[in-house]
Amino acid sequence: MRLMRTPKKIDIDITNRCNLRCRYCYHYESAGDADGDLPVSEWLRFFEELNRLAVTEVTMAGGEPFIREDLKEIIGGIVRNRMRFQILSNGTLIDDDMADFLVSTRRCNYVQVSIDGSIPMTHDAMRGKGSFSKAMRGLMTLRRHGVHTAVRVTIHRKNVHDLDGVAKLLLEDIGLSSFGTNSAGAMGLCRKNAEMVQLTTEERTIAMETLLRLAKKYNGRINAMAGPLAEARGWWDMEEARNGGKQLTSPKRGFLTGCGCYRAGLAVRADGVITPCTMLSHIELGRINRDDLGVVWRDHEALNILRRRQEIPLTSFSFCEGCPYVNACTGNCPGLSYTLTGEVNHPSPDACLRKFLDEGGRLPDRTLL
Amino acid sequence: MDVKNPIANPLIVLREEFDDWAILFDPDTGNAFGLNPTGVFIWKLLDGKHNTDDIVSRLCEEADDVPEDAGEHARQFIASLEQQGLVGYEVIAGNPA
Repeated sequence: MRLMRTPKKIDIDITNRCNLRCRYCYHYESAGDADGDLPVSEWLRFFEELNRLAVTEVTMAGGEPFIREDLKEIIGGIVRNRMRFQILSNGTLIDDDMADFLVSTRRCNYVQVSIDGSIPMTHDAMRGKGSFSKAMRGLMTLRRHGVHTAVRVTIHRKNVHDLDGVAKLLLEDIGLSSFGTNSAGAMGLCRKNAEMVQLTTEERTIAMETLLRLAKKYNGRINAMAGPLAEARGWWDMEEARNGGKQLTSPKRGFLTGCGCYRAGLAVRADGVITPCTMLSHIELGRINRDDLGVVWRDHEALNILRRRQEIPLTSFSFCEGCPYVNACTGNCPGLSYTLTGEVNHPSPDACLRKFLDEGGRLPDRTLL
Repeated sequence: MDVKNPIANPLIVLREEFDDWAILFDPDTGNAFGLNPTGVFIWKLLDGKHNTDDIVSRLCEEADDVPEDAGEHARQFIASLEQQGLVGYEVIAGNPA
């Protein structure tokens, strides 16, 4: 597969600080949990390099990006260096002044706010008391000022029965055009709090059924790249491929092709260490303003090994032995695979359809698709 | 007479992605425009120092089998870039006629 000359986008943990400690945060207690926020001057220098490399897009996450007192200065550097940006936020620190500033830049693709419930109880269960009202206020402030917004709903044990309410709140009451869903993955703090946070097999089945039903009810206005909704669709594709009724082409099946984020961009930790992806923060490729990002992108051996994982057949893993879905599977997220197995080049057990079915899970009714 | 030389909007990003193809990215709108290798060649000469005739001459020097109507195509291409705000003109003051 051909590689772009330079990365197109960069995901930056702009800070390691956060005003919340969500129980399923993938960041804290992962390799990405790197103390020592860089001064603004380091980021501004780095953005000049991104400009020279014709990078077009920066995603700022953390930590909570809006906790940085100098965020406007950082965004100013992105704007001066001909890029656009998006911010992933818990929404609780956004005020009128900041929303007004974001609009004035004309470069903000969107601010993503996490809303996990339709009522404080379900949202605050994992994010902390009072966070629902603050997040809602932040979201509404952004919308009032005309900032493009996205909402991400992370599904866990405390909100899995509130999804109808969440959809009504976001799509009917607030009037969002759509929202995205995910589920708490086995990373960072979520691993520590897994029993409290992660869906059981039965709850995962319920979440899939509910989300498919709601996605239909709201004409596709609920989407997902991961989590129960994405799994329901992806696993049905695999089931149909197994029966010979469906040809799955992209990404290529039967190999470790799941997620190719490191083909489009790179990530940078809050301490300035360059990594392939925020989910693979333990793979250190260099440091900003010390190592040439273009050289890292093209030539770093660890990155090129990662890019070659797509040539590894799933049949080479004992984990996949005898699996009827092996020729329809992609192995899924290498980051999750690493946290669960200690190996990047391994299929992710969390995304395994056979394992899910063996543990008593069931695919939702086909008519819900 | 004043001479007008086309000049690329400095805000526009030229992203050379694969082979000699590229994308022009306008960060203010988020719009992207694909460029073939000839388009990339021309874009790189939109520096305010070359007029359209210069650019066509350079193209004929550098490329094989340049069609006879290449000059017209190049003018149309530059005009379309101008219409989209990707190119402006640097006016170079000349001697009064």
